[in-house]
Amino acid sequence: MKKAAFGVGAPGRVPASGNAGRLPALVFAMVLAAGLVSPTQAQPLTGNAKAGAQRAATCSGCHGISGLRNAYPEVFHVPKIGNQHPEYIALALQAYRSGERTHPTMRAIAAGLNDQAIADLAAFYGQGGRRAPQTASK
Amino acid sequence: MTTRDSSMTLRISRLALASILLLGAASGMAQNVQRGAELSKPCAACHGADGNSIAPSFPRLAGQHEDYLVHTLRAYRNGGRKNAIMLAQIDKLTDQDFRDLAAYYARLKGSLTVVRH
Repeated sequence: MKKAAFGVGAPGRVPASGNAGRLPALVFAMVLAAGLVSPTQAQPLTGNAKAGAQRAATCSGCHGISGLRNAYPEVFHVPKIGNQHPEYIALALQAYRSGERTHPTMRAIAAGLNDQAIADLAAFYGQGGRRAPQTASK
Repeated sequence: MTTRDSSMTLRISRLALASILLLGAASGMAQNVQRGAELSKPCAACHGADGNSIAPSFPRLAGQHEDYLVHTLRAYRNGGRKNAIMLAQIDKLTDQDFRDLAAYYARLKGSLTVVRH
């Protein structure tokens, strides 16, 4: 019923190559600009995976069980976070803490985390649950 | 049963599941992976052509849970997640688009894993 116009790349509509090329570039420009003005990006804390492992006991109640579903407010599988980019994990936790993300359980948990705790958890999960420090945590 | 056997069984059951889902999509009931691949082209700039983003601020999507991906897309649209970049990208998309995109990314190979404590 509600069929809104599709974005670039939708089937049945061949986008002009100029536009298709410009959109990702615009997104990148926005991202770069956001990075330049965001104080949280200026001096990222170094995460300690071993410390993160200790904190992760709480997280593993949901994120450590294969196939577990979130039940409230929507039903969906709890996301896999092992090997996710540590920077993204940190951004997500900060967003729950600040209220930019509204998930009730995650907000409650993130509210109790300081920046170092977030960096430690990000390091632990970002390197797939390994506790030993890794020099390049990509 | 050995780990190898169970992994093979898992792979076969996944294949069976994928076939069922594709049949569903053909009858207009569920998600369409191929359509998701088409819709994903603008996403590749940040999330990578294969769903394994290189830029560390953007999540890897390849192999993520399908229903979780649908949830996140809805959240960006309805304000449950406030992110100007994502909102601009998905604002005009329908729930069917979300299902197709999620079906596509969930089926890509990636390194995401469940970490047991």
